[in-house]
Amino acid sequence: MTDVTNSPLTVAGSRRRRFNASERQVALMRHLVLMSFALIVLFPFFWIISAAFKTQIDLLMGKIFFTPRIDGFLDVIFDKTSDFARNFGNSMVIGLISTFLVLIVATLAAFSLYRLQWPGWVLHSLLGWSVIFHMVPPITLAGAWFTMFRSVGLDNSYTGIILAHTTLHLPMALWMMGVFVRDVPKELVEAAQIDGAKVPQILWHVVLPIVRPGLAATGILTFIFSWNEFPVVLVLSQRQTATVPLGIGKYAQENTIAFTEMAAASTLSILPAFLLLLFAQRFIVRGLTSGAVK
Amino acid sequence: MARVKLNGLSKSYGKVNVIKDICLDIEDGEFVVLIGPSGCGKSTLLRMIAGLESITDGTLEIGDRPVNDVPPRDRGISMVFQSYALYPHMSSADNMSFSLRLAGEDDASRRGKVARAADILGLGPYLDRLPKQLSGGQRQRVAMGRAIVRKPEVFLFDEPLSNLDAKLRVKMRTELKELHQKLRTTTIYVTHDQVEAMTLADRIVVLRDGRIEQIGTPLELYDNPANAFVGSFLGSPTMNLLQLEVAADNPRSARFPDGEAMCLAEPAPPGPAIVGIRPECFNLAAQPGDGTLQAEVVVVEPTGATTELVVRKAGQDITVLSPQRLNARPGDKVWLMPDATRARAFPHGDNHIG
Repeated sequence: MTDVTNSPLTVAGSRRRRFNASERQVALMRHLVLMSFALIVLFPFFWIISAAFKTQIDLLMGKIFFTPRIDGFLDVIFDKTSDFARNFGNSMVIGLISTFLVLIVATLAAFSLYRLQWPGWVLHSLLGWSVIFHMVPPITLAGAWFTMFRSVGLDNSYTGIILAHTTLHLPMALWMMGVFVRDVPKELVEAAQIDGAKVPQILWHVVLPIVRPGLAATGILTFIFSWNEFPVVLVLSQRQTATVPLGIGKYAQENTIAFTEMAAASTLSILPAFLLLLFAQRFIVRGLTSGAVK
Repeated sequence: MARVKLNGLSKSYGKVNVIKDICLDIEDGEFVVLIGPSGCGKSTLLRMIAGLESITDGTLEIGDRPVNDVPPRDRGISMVFQSYALYPHMSSADNMSFSLRLAGEDDASRRGKVARAADILGLGPYLDRLPKQLSGGQRQRVAMGRAIVRKPEVFLFDEPLSNLDAKLRVKMRTELKELHQKLRTTTIYVTHDQVEAMTLADRIVVLRDGRIEQIGTPLELYDNPANAFVGSFLGSPTMNLLQLEVAADNPRSARFPDGEAMCLAEPAPPGPAIVGIRPECFNLAAQPGDGTLQAEVVVVEPTGATTELVVRKAGQDITVLSPQRLNARPGDKVWLMPDATRARAFPHGDNHIG
């Protein structure tokens, strides 16, 4: 009797243990893979940040253990010959204003395209055109923009660079905002229509409050894109309007490369994007995945 | 409050006609239910009245004023959507007062109107809550409150109860009827649920494929359906539709293939006919008698209050609803006494449902 009642239990028990063991192995493997990915992604950051605290000699000798020094940072921020503070300010101004413009245009366009009953060909040709535009490498446009801006006196000006960045990042923002606007149920727009709202009121009172997370996600991505953008500012700006990526590039001179300063400047340049991501990563993740799961 | 007049309304998407020449006069204060199977165009018709769909042809009048080209906000209507369509970022009170805010009413009068509506609907304790913090029934009431505060001339309802569970649906149905009796506002209500239609409507409009099949009070439609489609659409359990042969010598008698015949309420042309008779229009007898039909019991379904029997007669299933508790068993023989005044022959060829 005992045997009969016990044997199924033992079988079930051992089966469960085996299952657990293999599950643990799978989990271990999974974590190893994830950790190696994390290592690949994080190592450059670690290297740059540690380089920023080394002296040029320590760095060139490839020392692993060193006494951290903040001379690189002090040079980058306070040295009279350093433009970094100005570059940082320029990047801020250009990034914030172009992001603001992009959000306004993209939201209005997405609302209009998806909720105002345009004929299909208008919608598709506009979206198609924006994709094609997005596929063109920015450097191809930069030359033409330089000539255009120069002839109207906008070269080496904030306005020129802001316009260029707005144009560059509009397609991506339009597509993202399109997804968010489409996620707003049609009935809400119709209910607002019946409640007496005109189109601008529908946008302001109903659609905008609902797509706020989408605005945050799109805004953050646009800002980061503008912050990182290199080829177009390289063509359009000079010393007064140069942005952070150009500033970092300047540390590589013909005769010397100021590695420490470069690393310090790079470390500082990560900060705004890092802070934004820290505060708003849930918006970003939602923004990038929404629409994909439906 | 207002009359609504549909004059030859049509709607087509390209070459596809979804609404075909609908003519309908809705009286001031009337409760009209549009019913039909899915895809019959009832929701499209309602949205045309609301102004959310354009009208391809015909004229629509609300309160003796043609409104074909008037935007929804100026039609004097309010609408309750199937999904409620509450603004998710606004509290119940803000949802209800949104239209008043847009109309530029001041704070005090807005609050007064919302409070009155909340009072009617029993929403007092929930005014500060967001839609996601409300249950289905409460959301439904907020949606109705939003429609009420505007004091519209016409209420439009698009399957407002179909997202609720069965119990709540019955409760809200009663509340809706009570609300209409209180406010006496012209109401157009779309549903596919025949019980809702029967219980709520002053008049029912049965639609199929974008056309009106029949208009009438619930009991008119129940007792005198114009065709087999209407007959089988209203009523539960559904009307029996029997394939019989009307005798050449007696136009008021229809014969089963086995030779037994039943009487018809009205004479019908000779030849094959579809005879509709409701399940409750049979009496059961244990013995054969004058005019009885012999049948065999297939299924017995007691519901407590009534007993539903499915019997087989010459290869056709007939549903019989009896107020008695029967102890019939499958395989038993029973004799049916059809109520001759309730059996109607329908023109052949339109017995398809949906």
